[in-house]
Amino acid sequence: MTASTSSSGETDALRVEGLVAGFGDITILHDVSLAVPAGKVTVLLGANGAGKTTLFRAITGLVTPRAGSVKLFGDEIAGQAPHLIARAGIGHVPSGRELFPRMPVSAHLDLGGRLCPPDQRAALRQRVLELFPAIAERLHQAAGTLSGGEQQMVAIARALMTNPRLLMLDEPSAGLAPKVVLSVFDALGKLLNQGMSVLLAEQSMTFGLSVASRAYIIREGRIVLSGTPAELSAERSVVQAYLGA
Amino acid sequence: MIVLQLVVNGVLLGGTYILLAQGLNLVFGVMGIVNLAHGSIITFVGVFTYWVVTQTNLNPLLLLPLVFVVALVVGGVLQRLLLEPLAKLGNRRELLSLMVTFGLSYVIVEMAINLFGSQYVSLPNLQETWTVAGLAVNEALVVAGVLGAVISGCLHVWLHYTASGKALLATSQNATGAVTCGIDVRRMRGISFAIGSALAAIAGVLLILILPLSAPTADTLTILAFVIVALGGLGDYKGAVFAGLLLGLVQSGVGYYLGGDVEVIVPYLLLIGFMVLRPQGLGQAAR
Amino acid sequence: MNLDARQVGQWIERRLSAPASAGVSGPRPLSIGILIALIVCAGSVPLVTSAYILQLATDLLTFAALAYSWNVISGCTGYLSFGQVSFFGIGAYATAALVMHTSVPWYVDAVIGATIGGVSAALLGTIMLRLRGIMFALGMLGLARILMVVFSNWDFIGGAAGLTLPAQLTPVAVYLAMWVAALAAFGLNYFLLRSQWGLSVIGVRDEEVAAAAIGVPTSWAKTVAFIMSALAPAAVGGLVAWNRSFIDPPSAFDPTLDLQVIVFALFGGIGTLWGPALGTVILVIVGEQFWAYLPELQLALYGVLVIAVVLAFPGGIVGVANRFGWLRRRPVAAPAVFPIVSRPPRPATPGSDTIIEVRDLTVRFGGLVALNNVSLAVRRGEMVSIIGANGAGKTTLFNAITGFVKPSEGGVFYQGKSVSDIPSHRRAHQGIARTFQIPRLMESLTVWENTLLAARHGRRKDAAVEQAAWALHTVKLDNLWLEPPGKLSPGQQRRLEMARALALDPTVILLDEVMAGMTRDEQGEIREVLRHFRDLGVAAVAGVEHIIAAIADISDRMIVLDRGKKIAEGVPEAVLRDPVVIESYLGKVS
Repeated sequence: MTASTSSSGETDALRVEGLVAGFGDITILHDVSLAVPAGKVTVLLGANGAGKTTLFRAITGLVTPRAGSVKLFGDEIAGQAPHLIARAGIGHVPSGRELFPRMPVSAHLDLGGRLCPPDQRAALRQRVLELFPAIAERLHQAAGTLSGGEQQMVAIARALMTNPRLLMLDEPSAGLAPKVVLSVFDALGKLLNQGMSVLLAEQSMTFGLSVASRAYIIREGRIVLSGTPAELSAERSVVQAYLGA
Repeated sequence: MIVLQLVVNGVLLGGTYILLAQGLNLVFGVMGIVNLAHGSIITFVGVFTYWVVTQTNLNPLLLLPLVFVVALVVGGVLQRLLLEPLAKLGNRRELLSLMVTFGLSYVIVEMAINLFGSQYVSLPNLQETWTVAGLAVNEALVVAGVLGAVISGCLHVWLHYTASGKALLATSQNATGAVTCGIDVRRMRGISFAIGSALAAIAGVLLILILPLSAPTADTLTILAFVIVALGGLGDYKGAVFAGLLLGLVQSGVGYYLGGDVEVIVPYLLLIGFMVLRPQGLGQAAR
Repeated sequence: MNLDARQVGQWIERRLSAPASAGVSGPRPLSIGILIALIVCAGSVPLVTSAYILQLATDLLTFAALAYSWNVISGCTGYLSFGQVSFFGIGAYATAALVMHTSVPWYVDAVIGATIGGVSAALLGTIMLRLRGIMFALGMLGLARILMVVFSNWDFIGGAAGLTLPAQLTPVAVYLAMWVAALAAFGLNYFLLRSQWGLSVIGVRDEEVAAAAIGVPTSWAKTVAFIMSALAPAAVGGLVAWNRSFIDPPSAFDPTLDLQVIVFALFGGIGTLWGPALGTVILVIVGEQFWAYLPELQLALYGVLVIAVVLAFPGGIVGVANRFGWLRRRPVAAPAVFPIVSRPPRPATPGSDTIIEVRDLTVRFGGLVALNNVSLAVRRGEMVSIIGANGAGKTTLFNAITGFVKPSEGGVFYQGKSVSDIPSHRRAHQGIARTFQIPRLMESLTVWENTLLAARHGRRKDAAVEQAAWALHTVKLDNLWLEPPGKLSPGQQRRLEMARALALDPTVILLDEVMAGMTRDEQGEIREVLRHFRDLGVAAVAGVEHIIAAIADISDRMIVLDRGKKIAEGVPEAVLRDPVVIESYLGKVS
């Protein structure tokens, strides 16, 4: 059960090998390797502070990796500037959502849409708004005034508007009431069935394993376990020990 | 009648102040730093304009495009060399960027003093006073007030209706979010400092037509600009319009009733008093 | 100056080390030796050298005194000031007025000048210290301007034309007086950076809110530091005025003085004990050679120097030295080894059974209602968990109980008495401790000092050391006690926050997001600490967002907040089965 199980390199949307990253004197990620097969959902499970967000930020260039390789559909992107990685086709829904609080919802869609070819923008926008009808009603409202769940949907919508080749969702359930989490998961469930390449970070094992074709468990900056949902479900107690929930 | 006259003067003075402050505001909004060299750019360009005009007899307004472009380039270069290296320093960045721009302000001021002298100068081009409906209206103040409004208007249109402006606005509200949309945040910081410097340079050309300036008054102008930016809610350029008008009105009234000495310290008193009472600025209150 | 330096040194050493207060380390003999050597050199300078050298040495001491004073407020306390020259001017004018209108000896004038400087700092501090960051920095610059205008219009002391002082001091007298000022300013830095009390000021610099939460009287600490930073400049201002025998507002409130002082402190290392001295000595001596050739470029070059230092080595000389292990700050009051913990049993605290009562509490921020008419009570030794999503109002509730947020309506009662008018740090003294959603630890202090700061209130130094050791031992951080908090794992950081809370000897601890970010092992450790609270009779109120399972079984009661309202309360099993809670918070698991 290691990262190299998916051997066919060409069909991997994302391939991370030996990634090391940290801040200052502190190393947070130690030799992390994982692969996201194209057209499938891969989930990264881990407790808060396990290194999920740092891994996401290292992949998207917000944190510069110290060593290792990150390949997006075969192209090396490790060490590139984060905006170039975004342009290369990674749609990143960051933890904390990182919206523009005083700008309306529509501006978020426009800003995401900068990366989408102009002729496809209108159609894409249409599809995104169908996916999230709740925010379609609030296009002119400032993002800072939305509820937590709506803000999460705006963050996902903004990333989708970049027309990404790989979508990376960093804990879409964080900071939401369990009830709202269910509604966000509901919308995500629809999205994730559409054949996109997705890397999803979650704490919730139940949801994570229900949508993914492959899962990795991260703990203290290391991938400690990986496998198919079936394999991991069989070792439920082990996984839960790692997740702490 | 006196009150009305004071209001007119105050509003026009407020326009000047808005002109003075928007560059600082833009830099703060996007980069989160207060450019303490802001005033020194204004006075440098002001005394430079005086020097050029007295040497060549050129119309000072013709210098506007030149100083705009030069300040744009110089500002961009300075940002890249001096401020960008600090961007990754986390929580120490604020202190260190203040230090750097504080040092920069002395470099620019001393350059101006060595090149053009330290005396007060002003240009007599716009010294007429018109009488409109019984009110005395100073030509220079009208020009500055109108330009203050025009520049704020341009800023508004640019930030809200153009792709590059929206990208800048997005960066100022959330840099990480902007990066995920493929916006080059580093470039945005450079642009904001370049445009902030260019706005300061424009203010320098215009102010020398209105007020006597000397190179060492730079930090007075920086504080004045900062007071407006702070009163308006840091980075909130619409708030700065209100704050500029408020400061103009208060100062024109105080100057008339309490004398010039008190007028001079009004900005400082407002800064200290208002910040103690209402640290979040005017803009938030209006919302 | 005929004293035998070695005798003095030994005497001072004996004085400092004799009582050996419970392992509190005194200054090293080396520092004392350096100090004595300096004093001896200082005394001999006027006897052996030229007037030029004497003037240079006087300038050096003047700037050292100013740089150390600036370091007190801007370096140690974290309030960057561009207007310390205000106190220089106030002192200069105070001394000048004394000279003109009285006939007391000059050194008395200098002392009175310093006192007036300190008093004005105390008064001005009540306004200025409410400003933070850039507001304070520019507010101080503005203050200097305001004072300049005020003094220009004050005819009693000469108005805009200035004052000419009658008699000039001898250069030797000025020189010696500057020595005293410089040493005094250095002494204040030493006090702030090496004493238990000084930790309060550094706590304010690193995390002002957390400092108040662990009982530091932050306003008081800031004000004292502000007064300290005004003393030497005021004295120096008087001496300079007298030395020049002329004073006018522009020279008394000259903002470029602050530039120079900042350059010196920055070059040496801001917030360090030796930085201001090193920066001043090097730059004054180098500058002296340089300005002779390029007088008109002095300020511009200082500007360039500031930029260069910030970009090349922002920690200054001391920062560079630290990399080689030199001039490192030593932890305050840290014994040679972790103290063996033997803690006397806690005296039974009298008081009512209901520790905290919140009545009809409403908190509004503008139009947003963060807490809506919430009432609850916490009994002695009880474990209560407060469940709610982000934005449900948990943090606001904690902030209202600890005094960081003012209730719009309703009140908070502690042991039956309203605490509405009691500031946060005094609520901490009374026994209300808290932790933060994201740990707020003093990054430049060690684990040990973080805890000691909380343990200080109401204890003698050695008792504080024991208390801190006990608290760290209780959360099992003894082996990491000399690490900076930045090196701790998230779980350890939370436990350090708990140790700080525990060091206050609280009756109740409010824990904001107690389990967030914890691995299962870490959760286990935290549960252990929570159980320990119960054994100690300390009530705990834990805010929890997601990880309900890890907290439910150790909670006596559970309260659910939803968008600012309390929607349920009771024993955990009942609350988690409550249809209202399932409907509005937990959601139906499909």
